[in-house]
Amino acid sequence: MVSRAWAAGLWNSVHQTVRTRRFWTVSLPYRTLQFANFACALHLFGDHIATISWVEGPSMVPTMAVAGEAALELKWINVNKLTRGDLVTFISPLDPGRIVCKRITGLPGDVVCVDPTGTYAPSTEHVVIPKNHIWVTGDNLAWSRDSRVYGPVPMGLLKGRLYARVWPVTQFGVFPNTFDYIS
Amino acid sequence: MQTIRLARAGWASFRQSGRDHLNKQPRLRWFLSALVWLPLGLFVTEYGFNVKSVKGRSMQPTLNPDDSPWRDIVLFDRFSVKLRKKYERGDVVALKSPADSKLVVKRIIALEGDVVRTLPPYPDAEVRVPVGCAWVEGDEPFRTEDSNRFGPVPLGLIESRLSFIIWPWERIGSLGQPLVARHDAKRGTPGWRKSQADLERGTWRTSRVTIAPSQPPTSPS
Repeated sequence: MVSRAWAAGLWNSVHQTVRTRRFWTVSLPYRTLQFANFACALHLFGDHIATISWVEGPSMVPTMAVAGEAALELKWINVNKLTRGDLVTFISPLDPGRIVCKRITGLPGDVVCVDPTGTYAPSTEHVVIPKNHIWVTGDNLAWSRDSRVYGPVPMGLLKGRLYARVWPVTQFGVFPNTFDYIS
Repeated sequence: MQTIRLARAGWASFRQSGRDHLNKQPRLRWFLSALVWLPLGLFVTEYGFNVKSVKGRSMQPTLNPDDSPWRDIVLFDRFSVKLRKKYERGDVVALKSPADSKLVVKRIIALEGDVVRTLPPYPDAEVRVPVGCAWVEGDEPFRTEDSNRFGPVPLGLIESRLSFIIWPWERIGSLGQPLVARHDAKRGTPGWRKSQADLERGTWRTSRVTIAPSQPPTSPS
């Protein structure tokens, strides 16, 4: 009974509010605009500071599952402070509507072997990475289209850096840098 | 429980004192209430339209011609590039330079699949624009860092399309449309000569491009 009276009271108050002219001319537009503003703020935060993004596909297989997993992605990055072995996301040079994740294997000025596996180029071919470009490869070389196909990637395409895995929760952890230096 | 109540009371008094302080300073109050709407404004400038001035002479005479005492102020249309992904030959676009990630203004000459006859600094005489790339050039061939220097650029580097010149008022109008000879201008007048030169430059530009026969297939995922 109490809940019924409560519902009736609620309905009554909503009805009273909706009937007023002030609700339609002032309150509703203002609240809508406020909501839109809040949504924009959230979006801008996710676009420029940090977000949780879903990564899937076969190209990063030992690191990321094919079925996909969620990762904390930092968008506020200094492109000059990236190191070899970082996982970065960037706009695919093949398709501007796609964002892909790869591992940095070369920084500006490095000499890299174009394709050690020899499928896209003879394994003796080497290139010098130009200024303001990086060399990226997938962890699963057999199933990845990366710098071996499209060459060095301009830093202007970079979007963010994957920092930690957050889903599945059991495998939570900061991505380790897998780069080894051979002396 | 006691501590929670105390904390709430403290918080309420803090808010009240803040409100009193703001009521005493109408200018600060006005500033803060404007600041609250900043995200909406930023969103519009990022995904909609914004207005900027263009520096440099690489796009002359379309933008910043030599005889202009002002920098051109142009409406940048980010909506059609960022959300609609519309790229067309002849569009004047702003892109991040691959060489240093700074914003530069160039014209899209060719899209993926097209064959372009290149200009001097480029090593090859002819080049086929690869998938997902565009060939961009400045309108002034001698004063520009463009695809003839750094090669085809990925479409993802393109940030916005320059759609409308807002200032100076003599050249107010939309940008990046096919040029037509102006028949209203009298033969031999400076305006007529200018339009003829524009047309000639446009035809020269398009004559260097062999457009790909059909719509190239979008790259597989």
